[in-house]
Amino acid sequence: MVRTYLAWVLAAAAAGALLAVLWPVRAGSPEERRAIEAGRVVITYWDRHSGHEHEARVRLFDEYNRTQGVVDGVYVRALPIGYNMEKMLTAIAGSAPPDLCSLEGTVLVALAPQGCFLPIGDRMAASPHLREEAFFPHTWKAVSYDGRVYGVPTTCDTMCLLWNKSAFRRAGLDPERPPQTIAELEEYAGRLTIHSETGFDQIGFLPWLPWDLSHMWGGLFGGVWFDDASGRAVNGADPRIIASLEWQRSFSVDPRRSDNPPHAMDPARIAAFRSGFGAYMSANTPFYSGKVAMITEGEWQVTFIPKYAPDLDWGVAPIPQPEGAPPRCYSTSCVADAIPANCRHPEEAWKVIEWLYAPRPGTTRSPASDYAREISNIPCRRAEALDERFMGDPKFRVFVEELLNKPAVSYPVTPAAQVMLDEIERQREYVVFHQTTPEAASQTIERTANAEIERIEGLLEQVRP
Amino acid sequence: MTTSERRHLRNGLLFALPYLIGVAAFVVYPLVMSVYYSFCRYNIISSPVWIGLDNYRELFFNDPVFLKAVYNTLYYTAFAVPLGLAFSIGLAMLLNLRTPGVAVFRTVFFLPSIVPMVASAMLWLWVLNPESGLVNGLLRQVAGIDGPGWLADEHWSKPSLVLMSLWGLGTAMVIFLAGLSDVPQALYEVARIDGAGPWRTFRHVTLPMLTPTILFNLVMGLIGAFQYFTQVYVMTGGRGGPVDSTMFYALYLYRNSFYYLRMGYACAMAWMLFVLIFVCTAAVFASSRRWVYYHGE
Amino acid sequence: MASDRGTSGIGPRKGERWGALLVLVALSVLFLAPFGWMVSTSLKHESRIFTRPGEPPQWIPTTERTDEQGRPLVTWQGRPGVDLGRDADGRHTLLIGDEQVQAWPEDFAVQQRMGLHWENYARAFEMMDFVQNLRNTLFICVAVVLGTLASCSLTAYSLARIPWRGRTALFFFCIATMMVPYQVTLIPLFAVYSRLGWVGTFLPLIVPYLFGTPFYIFLLRQFFLGIPQDLSAAARIDGCSEFGAFAHIIVPLSKPALATTALFMFLFQWADFLNPLIYLQDDRHYTLAIALQQFQSQHESAWGPLMAMSTVITLPIIALFFLTQRTFIQGITMTGLKG
Repeated sequence: MVRTYLAWVLAAAAAGALLAVLWPVRAGSPEERRAIEAGRVVITYWDRHSGHEHEARVRLFDEYNRTQGVVDGVYVRALPIGYNMEKMLTAIAGSAPPDLCSLEGTVLVALAPQGCFLPIGDRMAASPHLREEAFFPHTWKAVSYDGRVYGVPTTCDTMCLLWNKSAFRRAGLDPERPPQTIAELEEYAGRLTIHSETGFDQIGFLPWLPWDLSHMWGGLFGGVWFDDASGRAVNGADPRIIASLEWQRSFSVDPRRSDNPPHAMDPARIAAFRSGFGAYMSANTPFYSGKVAMITEGEWQVTFIPKYAPDLDWGVAPIPQPEGAPPRCYSTSCVADAIPANCRHPEEAWKVIEWLYAPRPGTTRSPASDYAREISNIPCRRAEALDERFMGDPKFRVFVEELLNKPAVSYPVTPAAQVMLDEIERQREYVVFHQTTPEAASQTIERTANAEIERIEGLLEQVRP
Repeated sequence: MTTSERRHLRNGLLFALPYLIGVAAFVVYPLVMSVYYSFCRYNIISSPVWIGLDNYRELFFNDPVFLKAVYNTLYYTAFAVPLGLAFSIGLAMLLNLRTPGVAVFRTVFFLPSIVPMVASAMLWLWVLNPESGLVNGLLRQVAGIDGPGWLADEHWSKPSLVLMSLWGLGTAMVIFLAGLSDVPQALYEVARIDGAGPWRTFRHVTLPMLTPTILFNLVMGLIGAFQYFTQVYVMTGGRGGPVDSTMFYALYLYRNSFYYLRMGYACAMAWMLFVLIFVCTAAVFASSRRWVYYHGE
Repeated sequence: MASDRGTSGIGPRKGERWGALLVLVALSVLFLAPFGWMVSTSLKHESRIFTRPGEPPQWIPTTERTDEQGRPLVTWQGRPGVDLGRDADGRHTLLIGDEQVQAWPEDFAVQQRMGLHWENYARAFEMMDFVQNLRNTLFICVAVVLGTLASCSLTAYSLARIPWRGRTALFFFCIATMMVPYQVTLIPLFAVYSRLGWVGTFLPLIVPYLFGTPFYIFLLRQFFLGIPQDLSAAARIDGCSEFGAFAHIIVPLSKPALATTALFMFLFQWADFLNPLIYLQDDRHYTLAIALQQFQSQHESAWGPLMAMSTVITLPIIALFFLTQRTFIQGITMTGLKG
């Protein structure tokens, strides 16, 4: 009996020792530990970006931690979350949010009306650098709901048409002349597509590359997805939206028809070809590796391409629109900095925001715009976007001018935006796989979006005093 | 109540105390709340709003994706479970033939079933890659066939997942092996004396003796298939594509919960899943009286 | 490995056995091929991971052969040569013998020799904070295993060896809860943890297991029932309390069942996905499984590092299997047949 007692004591001790050894100590960097010892408040920052874009953000906060952070008594630790909406949602709904985060306008507006983010409009109005007039209007709209402002727009994007000049030369096209009209875009797409025995060696153009862009095409075709005044989706019977879906479908061969256009491709083969694409930020990205000759992409490519595909010979042009469509550019919404309402250190978070957006002493350039420059995104404040370091680059200039000269189509500002965008993507898939008609798809999108909006309104009535 | 009865009651409850507390906190309370939430609009952030049967009505009459998820799940179950049973019985029978190296073969067939699901999902995503994956590469090299798009093709995505599930049948196979070793040798002797060939021996001796094991594996397989989640979440990035062809019940439930914060709706879905599983297993058990053979009873 | 259980069978003839052997070998190749592909990919150079259309699968990782000046050696129309570089359109200039040739990449092949690229592992370790993730995983695994062993054996003891009124009811209730899919309690539990401030910590992944898991309670109860009653009666005569009988008689006799419980719980936790996905918010808390998935979601087609990481999280499990084969196979048999 003594022996079994001994065995029990030993077992318990071993278990305790094992747990103690494995205890996951919160291993911070040496700088972070020193900051804690110095009594500074460590705040967590969730970054919507990952990869080299996140590294740029980390360098920015390294600078803050060395300089202003010492004065403020704050230390920022940044984590790459990427475009991971469910993570942000679970954290906020689970009352475990970061102190400060960068996030898509759509996510911000999905949660802000329910009191998940601190309204910071008053603070912004009190700051000389953060007044409404300074920002591109669509970015300001993207962070506002019901008259309150919940975030500081950092960067926004514009989409343009990128084309591979070498591929143009090989196909016998003028490498300096991108397609100007939708008809030309279709024609070039057909001529640039190289079929192989099993699929493709090269795709000329595909409207849903690098990802679903149906919302953009609808807008550029002149359609209206969402009515701000009524706060409802109104695309259901919009002929221009339907036309844009029809146009996307024309890229996918319909087996039941004999009159498929020359640029149409077998949808199953497209899907197979896509699975051979490399990672988005790598030399194997399809546009870089020559698998796709024309693509609609954002201004960040101005730094991505030299980094990952230095030999690529490419050009930028505005995306063609159908004849008669009002001139428009496309800018999804913005990435904004926001403070979750139930975070632990809201005041410290605001100090960081002030540092980010104030011009550096003696200059007109803020750390936020330095960051935008480094990752080659368009800063949301017009004056900063007009800076020579953005406009001086002939390729980047094409993107900024789009935003300056044409009204921007952007994401609907409603808590149901994500549901609506997901439904648009779903219905586009159904349309291009010939499982539904553009008309029915458009109706379904409107119905789904409005049902979600009504559902959320039902919930919000509870929240409002 | 005698003293010893009272002492037993006290000791019994004391020993079961951790479990009793746990069951109250982590099972009973959540079950009750889950029923309540399923009649509410609820997103965790604000308090639940009673809406009666609306969530259930929406599920069946207004949500085509839900119906698609039910269809996908039934499709997967209808193929993966029976095929898995057939193949694991087959493998167990082969291993039971006492060939040289049986231990090695058993290990080989068993190993895939313990690979962590995230890793095996990643692995199969790559093995089934239509352009550079192993399967299509071999099909081209050996048979000269152009392989399908597998997970990238809406018609092949579910068969791909069924195929992948067959790779992980090791656990069922080991259970069948144990079941086979329990078949009395005498029965085989009798069959041999009666002049039964291998097929008839299998049909009339082995299979009936295996039926209790089949029942167990069938029920476990059903429950697992209805809750199929991790692999498809990893392999489709949580989206269930292409064209919702891999939107499985549990995935759609997860998306509703943590992507759209429709928590009440998700609770209603969870209860419907419970009903589905309950009805199916109950049907299996009810029918088992007719086909499961318990020898010695 | 097979010696632990008698194999009975139809008593096959020799020819049948050889036929079966052939089938088994063929099937083994099929079952092992994905593993081979995983390891092979994890050691390939980035440029060799995607095959060109029509190329057969490459099993052996290779490196480009180069001359002394570091220029790639190529084969063009069956003749060896050197690649001098490419122009803006992607056309390469090749030196074949003494003449220079212009060729598109698909028209010539770069000569390869066997070469393992361990940098995928280095890259994966670097991007995942592997040590921290491993430590988190092990911590959760060990804590859950210990908690499960303690709580389940106590409960099982109560259900199997203490004749109290209501224990049959509790047992059936316990079995019934196994029927309830986890999705049903998912959301209410999330709401509770959220109110407790547990989201973003390890607590939701550990605490519930300190209170018992029905399946293992069931397993242990069946095992405890098989231990002769006289043994505990004798202990009680010796003046042992109920807990004494549990600690000194039952537990030491139940090592196989406890080992099975520990092993399976460990495996389950090692691979668990949904709960860490929902509850772990900070990458410093990630388990290996979640770290791998997050890595994939951010570097979708980085197949080299992804396969390297998959290999790394699979290997310990395979090692564990070889170390504990008996417990493993017995455990599965126990759960399968007594169920």
